[in-house]
Amino acid sequence: MLHRRIYQFLIIYLLGISVLLGVKYSLNLSDYVIPGPGSIWQTGAAVFDSYLHDVMNTLGVAVVGQVFSICLAFLVGIIGRQTTWFGSFIKVAAYNVQAYPIVALAPIIFILLGDGFFTRLLIAAMICYFPLLLSVLGVMSEPITDIEHFYRSTGRMRWQLEVKIRAFENLQKLTTVISGSATLAMAGTIVAEFIAANAGIGYSIRIALYQSDLSKILVALFLVGITLAVYQGLLEWLGVFVRRGWAAA
Amino acid sequence: MLIEFDKVTYLYPGTEKRIFSDLTIRMERPGFHALFGPSGVGKTSFARLLTGALNGYDGQIRLAKVGTPLYSYNLERLPDWSSVGKHLEKITPDAAIQRRDQLVEIFGVEACLGSRFSHLSLGQQNRINLIRYLVQDFRLLIMDESLGNVDELTRERILLHVKAMFPDVLFLYISHNVVEVAKFCDQILVFRGARKTPQTMMVTGQNHCLEGQLDPQGLQRTMLEIMNAS
Repeated sequence: MLHRRIYQFLIIYLLGISVLLGVKYSLNLSDYVIPGPGSIWQTGAAVFDSYLHDVMNTLGVAVVGQVFSICLAFLVGIIGRQTTWFGSFIKVAAYNVQAYPIVALAPIIFILLGDGFFTRLLIAAMICYFPLLLSVLGVMSEPITDIEHFYRSTGRMRWQLEVKIRAFENLQKLTTVISGSATLAMAGTIVAEFIAANAGIGYSIRIALYQSDLSKILVALFLVGITLAVYQGLLEWLGVFVRRGWAAA
Repeated sequence: MLIEFDKVTYLYPGTEKRIFSDLTIRMERPGFHALFGPSGVGKTSFARLLTGALNGYDGQIRLAKVGTPLYSYNLERLPDWSSVGKHLEKITPDAAIQRRDQLVEIFGVEACLGSRFSHLSLGQQNRINLIRYLVQDFRLLIMDESLGNVDELTRERILLHVKAMFPDVLFLYISHNVVEVAKFCDQILVFRGARKTPQTMMVTGQNHCLEGQLDPQGLQRTMLEIMNAS
């Protein structure tokens, strides 16, 4: 699973590089516009350590933001699953708020909170949170009638049991969504860093952009992609582990 | 003990399809009774009206001394996070532990207790599901094809023992098996569809019990009555 993720990324990355080099050589573009393989390699060797540190910094923020989003999405999803007016209100609010591009709010957050760790965390969590919430709400609001019927008709149904049944029956879906949300958390953090932060790989990409240094950007993209592939592979593995563990309990 | 439908009219929500039209039925005694009829005539709707799962009908439904009606059907599942034995332990009231063990033996599911529900055959699943209901405290249990996919011999053994174990309970057994309902049921409510008059007919069954001889001619006669009524 982890290997598959890494292979997939490497294939896509190499394809992208090949297309760029194809454009470079077919249009006879200079190294200033699209650097050659040697230049990319040299830049990679020069910035690898500092960029790896930046990617780990970004990943740290993304992981904390994702965990925060997962907790919040489950909390709101569990409350919002109810067929009461409050549950309906939460569902409608979630669907409406998620339709708004959160990235557009990022400048306001920077203006109000500055460009530190908390701002990056908040933007990462917000970008990751709403898709997660919609999935959790969908899972938690959908009754598993053929299982729940007995507990309801005999008066044994409690909210904890209801949540447990729905989570267990949709475990595959939930673990896939959680693993997929890692990309959103990482993207959110990089966007935040790209806009105004003073650390992280997004910040380094912004500097490389101002220097018009495509080699640095390509190295940064490689490190972001490979790190994300490993992280998502680990999350998927964890999902399978949890599913097997719960089913064999 | 009373189940009474007084001029009940019911249409499926959002449709003009009339399931019941001024349906009037009265059942007063405990025992093993049947709801019989072809698919789509309203047996399950009748059961769901009884349990309160369906609303929006005209007329009156009165239940007396039947407590909360339980409704079991053959597509129910148990969660797969633990074995069926553990599930049964968890949902059995202390007072019914002995009854549960007895039922497990009669239903022939001892070997299934260590397995997950999804690993069982359909017949085993239905038997385990029915045991869950039989260990509850109930006065009225509707069994909607609850013994589907169970072989005939096992089904017969189960029905005879359940009847003997619960003489004061009202069972409504929904089945398409005319021999079975004619043989084991006391009263057979035959549903004929909303367009026929009367919509239902009550046929007296053979009510065969654990200790008793079955009259083969009587059984033939009951089966004919049921077929003529439906």
